[in-house]
Amino acid sequence: MSARARSWLWTALALVAALALWYLLAAIVQSGDDPLASAKLPYPHGVVEQVADNASTLAEAGWTSLKQALIGFAVGSLVGIASSIVMAQASWLESGLMPFILAAQMIPMIALVPIAQNVFRDDDLTRIFIAAFITFFSVSVAVLRGLKSAPPAAYELMASYNSGRGKTLRFLQLPAAVPMLFTGLRIAAPLSLVGSVLVDLSGAQSGLGYLMLAAITFGSEGATVLWGAMLVLLALGFLMSQAVVLAERLLAPWQPGMRGGRAR
Amino acid sequence: MSEAAMAHHEHVSASERPRALVVSGVSKTFGRGGSAVTALEDVSFDVARGSFVSVLGPSGCGKSTLMRLIAGLQPASAGAIEVAGRPPEEMRRDREFGIVFQQPILFDWRTVEQNVALPLQVMGRPKEEARARVDHMLDLVGLSEFRRHRPWQLSGGMQQRVSIARALTFAPPFLLMDEPFGALDMMTRERMQTELLAIWADNPGTTVVFITHSISEAVLLSDRIVVMSARPGRVLRVIDVDLPRPRTDETRDTKRFVDAEAEIRQLIFSQEGR
Repeated sequence: MSARARSWLWTALALVAALALWYLLAAIVQSGDDPLASAKLPYPHGVVEQVADNASTLAEAGWTSLKQALIGFAVGSLVGIASSIVMAQASWLESGLMPFILAAQMIPMIALVPIAQNVFRDDDLTRIFIAAFITFFSVSVAVLRGLKSAPPAAYELMASYNSGRGKTLRFLQLPAAVPMLFTGLRIAAPLSLVGSVLVDLSGAQSGLGYLMLAAITFGSEGATVLWGAMLVLLALGFLMSQAVVLAERLLAPWQPGMRGGRAR
Repeated sequence: MSEAAMAHHEHVSASERPRALVVSGVSKTFGRGGSAVTALEDVSFDVARGSFVSVLGPSGCGKSTLMRLIAGLQPASAGAIEVAGRPPEEMRRDREFGIVFQQPILFDWRTVEQNVALPLQVMGRPKEEARARVDHMLDLVGLSEFRRHRPWQLSGGMQQRVSIARALTFAPPFLLMDEPFGALDMMTRERMQTELLAIWADNPGTTVVFITHSISEAVLLSDRIVVMSARPGRVLRVIDVDLPRPRTDETRDTKRFVDAEAEIRQLIFSQEGR
């Protein structure tokens, strides 16, 4: 069995185990005489049924959250890369800017969302901003580290070609930073989606988070909708993360972890 | 072979040619005050144009530092270095140095041929010219069929050959090598030494500064050997090696080679008791 197939098998096994655990917990919760038990933790098949019944609603809500998350993810990545390039130019720039980036990261998202809503007065723009804000941090920190990952002798080599700042960046630092860039993107991808949904939850009129909130308000029947929306969110986050992995495989197959022993 | 033999014809005796490199009274100190470390102290020697000089010494004698000073990568603390009559820094800016380090420092994201083409690309040379030059260099180091491989798919010796091809791809008049074969096993190392001589013969007029801690390596390759002592790095003696060229694997077994090696070994050991 190939290593790839084996890793898929393990993922499948873990999924089955999680599903079994869910059934077990749901059975325990519902064995009592709590009338709201099925709302607290419904059985998985009930949730799947609910997802199938409300497929179009969930798809529309999912797409609303995902679309803005993707735009925010792209914007945040670009800003993150740009800021890390600026910081890599001089240590005074890094020491000057890093505290602000850290401080920005310390703002609780729950507090930032209403501020952003007041500023943008638009759900889509707010989602994009929050997703970008979350992406920016992990990407800029990771890429900055990647830009500085080349050994000193590589810089001496470039110096012997009288390579200027721009060419050293293009031929040495940026390619050397690609593995760390993908590490940052992989962390940021699902988080940007969570950021987008957080805006839904904070008073937006659409999206997966709005659906969750609405489901709760509608009482115990809505519980399966809540769980269904969560499943959709999970699947979307997984897809985004896998898309990053796939992109990395295609764009940077030369990394130690991806060497299949084949040429090219 | 005939090409190599002709090229060797140009390697006439060292003293008759103009001096390409003059190192006079050079010192290098790192740090200040009580924690200052003197890496080099009053180092002087000169090198004829188109000749092969080795800097030979134990680890900690500052020989790698010396190479960096000659390459214009760091300034000397005292003394002067003149490369073709000009300061090293200026020569570096004019791209007069090809450098090979102990580690090959190849870029994993580039194929073998892209690595060899790197200096030409940085220098903005025309693509056609670059391609022809890369073809020639890969042929010279015997790696034409590995051109599309990635560096990590090659053995250590092959990686270092790529590194040498890259250093010479823009035909610099100076080749600076910092223990290039130090990380290789004995057999690969000896083969690389004779290959380097063939590569050098193919690039006549190139002055080579070769840093090493191996006496036999220095004797086999060099016209002149600068023998250094450690802590601080000082020149013990400058020895001219007059073994005939071309030198091959058989040269290692000749009496003159063995004698030259013994002489240097005794010189170094006699200094240890100081």
